Amino acid sequence: MSNINPANVDPAGLKRRSFIYRDLAALGAQFGEINGGAVPLGFGGTREAELASARRLALADLSVMPHAGFKGKGTAEWLTAQGLNIGPDSNKAYAQAGGELAARLAPTEIFLLDSLAGSGALMNRLNTAWSWAETAPRPQQGYPLPRQDSHGWFMLAGEFAPEMFSKMCGVDLRRDRFADGSIAQTSLAKMSAIIIRADRKGKDGRAHAAYHVLADIASAEYLWSCLMDAGREFDIKPVGLTALQDLES
Amino acid sequence: MSDINRLPAPFGRLIDRNQPVSFEFEGRTITGFKGDTIASALCANDQWMISRSFKYHRPRGVLTMAGQDANTLVQLAEEPNCLADKYPARNGLKVRAQNYFGSFDNDMARVVELVHRFLPVGFYYKTFNEKRNSWKFWEPIVRAMTGLGAIDPKADFHESYYDKQYLFADVAVIGGGPAGLAAARAAAEAGAEVILIEENAAVGGSLGYARFDAEGLRAPALLQELSPEGVKNLNIMTGAICSGVFSDNWIPVIKGNRFYKLRAKSIVVATGSIEQPAVFRNNDLPGVMMASAAQRLIRLYGVRPGRSAVILAANDDAYGAALDLIEAGVAVNAIADLRPTLSSSPLVAAVKARGIAVHAGHGVSEALYTRKSHISGAVIAPVSGEGALGAGGFNAPCDLILMSVGFSPAGQLLHHAGAKFGYCRDSHMFQPVSLPANVQAAGSVNNVYDLDAVIADGKRAGLAAAKDAGCQVGAIPAAPTERGHVGRTHPWPIFPHARGFDFVDFDEDLKYHDLINGIADGYDNVELLKRYSTVGMGPSQGRHSAVTSVRVVSRETGTDIANMNVTTQRPPYTPEKFGHLAGRVFDPERRTAMHHRHLELGAQMMPAGVWWRPAYYGAKSARSTVIAAEVKAVRENVGLIDVSTLGGLDVRGRDDDEFLNRMYTFSYTKQPVGRSRYVLMTDNSGVITDDGVACRFHDEHFYVTATTSGVDVVYRQMLFWNAQWRLDVDVANVTAALCGVNIAGPKSRAVLQKVCTDIDLSAEAFPYMGVKTGTVAGIPARLMRVGFVGELGYEIHVPAGYGEALWDALLEAGKPEGIKPFGVEAQRVLRLEKGHIIVSQDTDGLTNVWEADMPWALAKTKPFFVGGRSTEILAKTKLVRKLVGFTLKNAADPCPEECHLVLKGEEIVGRITSAVNSPSLGKVVGLAYVHADDAAPGSEFTIKVDGGRRITGVVTKYPFYDPENKRQEM
Repeated sequence: MSNINPANVDPAGLKRRSFIYRDLAALGAQFGEINGGAVPLGFGGTREAELASARRLALADLSVMPHAGFKGKGTAEWLTAQGLNIGPDSNKAYAQAGGELAARLAPTEIFLLDSLAGSGALMNRLNTAWSWAETAPRPQQGYPLPRQDSHGWFMLAGEFAPEMFSKMCGVDLRRDRFADGSIAQTSLAKMSAIIIRADRKGKDGRAHAAYHVLADIASAEYLWSCLMDAGREFDIKPVGLTALQDLES
Repeated sequence: MSDINRLPAPFGRLIDRNQPVSFEFEGRTITGFKGDTIASALCANDQWMISRSFKYHRPRGVLTMAGQDANTLVQLAEEPNCLADKYPARNGLKVRAQNYFGSFDNDMARVVELVHRFLPVGFYYKTFNEKRNSWKFWEPIVRAMTGLGAIDPKADFHESYYDKQYLFADVAVIGGGPAGLAAARAAAEAGAEVILIEENAAVGGSLGYARFDAEGLRAPALLQELSPEGVKNLNIMTGAICSGVFSDNWIPVIKGNRFYKLRAKSIVVATGSIEQPAVFRNNDLPGVMMASAAQRLIRLYGVRPGRSAVILAANDDAYGAALDLIEAGVAVNAIADLRPTLSSSPLVAAVKARGIAVHAGHGVSEALYTRKSHISGAVIAPVSGEGALGAGGFNAPCDLILMSVGFSPAGQLLHHAGAKFGYCRDSHMFQPVSLPANVQAAGSVNNVYDLDAVIADGKRAGLAAAKDAGCQVGAIPAAPTERGHVGRTHPWPIFPHARGFDFVDFDEDLKYHDLINGIADGYDNVELLKRYSTVGMGPSQGRHSAVTSVRVVSRETGTDIANMNVTTQRPPYTPEKFGHLAGRVFDPERRTAMHHRHLELGAQMMPAGVWWRPAYYGAKSARSTVIAAEVKAVRENVGLIDVSTLGGLDVRGRDDDEFLNRMYTFSYTKQPVGRSRYVLMTDNSGVITDDGVACRFHDEHFYVTATTSGVDVVYRQMLFWNAQWRLDVDVANVTAALCGVNIAGPKSRAVLQKVCTDIDLSAEAFPYMGVKTGTVAGIPARLMRVGFVGELGYEIHVPAGYGEALWDALLEAGKPEGIKPFGVEAQRVLRLEKGHIIVSQDTDGLTNVWEADMPWALAKTKPFFVGGRSTEILAKTKLVRKLVGFTLKNAADPCPEECHLVLKGEEIVGRITSAVNSPSLGKVVGLAYVHADDAAPGSEFTIKVDGGRRITGVVTKYPFYDPENKRQEM
């Protein structure tokens, strides 16, 4: 938590801004600073209430949290050489030592998501490590992708998440059919999206349903409104990072 | 009026007597209970007439109580054509009957019935085919006199929320009757995930209303035994109707305002059968109904269907209905059984034991009526031959005639799935004879009627479906051999009457002789007869007329019915509302990082593909003024425009330049790092498809821009071609990841310098077409000196998350210089003054490099680019049109608009692609396609503008503004 400035910061006062910060502020978000931007930590409810929402159905905006990507020949080998756990299967997310996820979208494409601690340490290390070799022929090590800014990042948590997804997405995302760590590169509300199941495991061993939703940052407002609309019948609530972290307490 | 026909509990298993409801029908108050349908509540209140018929305006009432006929279509305040026997009664409903003139009880349009002889089958063909002009006179009259409900466009519109949802299952069981319940349980117990779809409010099907034994105990016991409640893996959807079956078991299911899209590995169709009417005179009037309809009224809704009844029978089910009537306090005056001898069924014996008069070998020739809206008796006569009743008939008073003469499979969904049906001579019914893979049929839709056999058939189908879905299932039991299908359906329950009104199709008011006459007119095939007579084309889609039509055509043409079939059954099985099909519309849109800043500045936003862009900043009423001011700011001072929607592609790898060489018309091999170069893309036929600039930031990295609407196609083309060429490049579409602004105008450098301190912005260090990376306001940025608007300017592309901060910083930095945001409209003016084309506005789907007058964009020495060979060939063909710049000969003429025609004499030879009254030049300038012979500067051509007026354009060299490009290169 040391990476988070817990003061209720003004999103417009920081350079990195979520595309939906106005919507979040209108919903009563209290922001903390992470990665040079404002992440909603909560929405003014009690810890118990926001936790209950996160267990039932809740949506969080993590767009300014660190995320990155690499693509091209040599990507998996280079990341492995950097110490990452990159498994052999595509459409599978691999957990890293620091709680980050390396989502293998294709044999030569990896999408990296930071842990909910939001330190960005792994992303920073990788971005620093990658550079053009001085002379050609250069080694094949893939290329960094601007995933931080190409994709908005939402997390949908709660037991009703699969049913809610089924109103917008044709992939069967139910928990008994879409295992933890599975990736669906699919259409969500008629736009391309990457959905990663990433249950939050409580200390009591219970797994709380949660899904990362990664989609075109320019359509973030549209997708946020679609998700909130689809979740209305399940009493969806916006939640902050704190509630998501509390799921693991 | 009160619910005088309401029966006490336990009748009425679907109604909750603790929850009364009240609504209006034709201005009268109707009372009922929660669980009632509109029709059941009306019947409980002794309101038997529910609608007027389509053509003759005859009174109509309950026929099926199953939502399978058009007799109960009613008008609600917000919705027409609602099935009253399915639509739940609820407080506050305002219900009206449909299709009447004057009052519902005394419909003036019933006069049409008196002239029915002048309205023969094929009336429209016969009347209007040759006298087509008369249709103009008759059309409004015909349309007013016929038809169904109406939408009132002046009514208050209350938007309803419709949406869609995907469903997933191993096995979908459609139909929750005994076969469906048995199938669903069997499949679920075999380990399959099962969805059971039932269109009614409760599962059970015929177990909920029909009588299978004299004591009436079997059905309730089985209903309990087969209950799906609590069965693991079994999900139940009631009140949900499956409207079709499509490829790979894609099944649309409608429930309320939601449209479900179900994909199942296998399906069981257990949709049962549809009871069929008999044909006799006045068989359509209120009081004549299916036996199953009466049983539904009694058992499901606790409504007495009449006071005294006659039953027209041809099977033992009629006797179960008779026992139900007796139990409900209805006097059964007579049973006319078409069969010459009665069966030995316990049901028949039980009826006889109650002293009911049973007339074997008799039928009903006519329903009598004294009140305008209800029957008062039946004429019963002995059967004298197929379709004939002889002398010796007698009148039996009654207010209720039940028809129990047979069934037809509800096989529509099986038809949709691709099943084949054939005629079963034993049962006189059609039955499925072949099923597609992963589709099962069970129960009476499968020509299985004996209750034990139905349940066995359901279990068989359920296990087979589970196996199809991949479950480990043992041996699948064989289909039951004793199906109980024989003796259920009479082969000819059709008794035409000399005085007519013996209806075959209630929806379309088609009588027996209408079919005979249609066949005599030459339409002697069921498909032809359907289209000529419209039989089966009404709302119930032939559910009660299709089989009769086949029988009649068979007999009239001498065709063996075993070689015939009912007409094609197409989806949807039931009407789907536009709301269901549209659902909750998902219409993705893209907004730039600065979108809200534009709104805060008063921008009028405009769509650009799926993006929103600021058109101009200011009131719509001041549009031209504010656009001119924005142009002036850029020309004389400094302006800022959001160009984030511009496409951006990172092309990286050892072969990056070779790749661009092949994709675009120019040459990029020798392009130095730090410079940009124009890119022009053609397709294989040499047609221009996109343009932009290629910025070389590294010897293995080009950042290529593309048009807003073209970038996705360009990206796909790059991936496609690279899959063929296998060059060592990686292409990434970074359009959304980078947002951009163009700060332009003579003072742009001065403003930018304030927030960009790590780049030397001088003309020498950062010349026109140069590119650099650095920071702007502390934000990592790619900077490009480009000249789309023809002034000193810098495009600055930064990570999208920083876009708003960049915008804020530049506006703040430019305050002393009076920086002004400008929109797309001003940019269009500025670029046109410079003569820059916009691909897809100034080009079309045929424009090649020669027509666009852009040979300067072709590399002369490279061996290949996509479209290169075609471009070479096109160079040798005679040009017929050419894109030119123009001004107007007469300055007082109006500015032409895009797509105004360019004429050569009277021949259309081209069009205006862009034109503007240039604020900077004080005259009209534009681009246009003209005849190639008229493309030389100074040539005149004719433009046809609004109102057909013709003005003269003069071909002019462009750029119109700053032709020496000094301003953008300063």
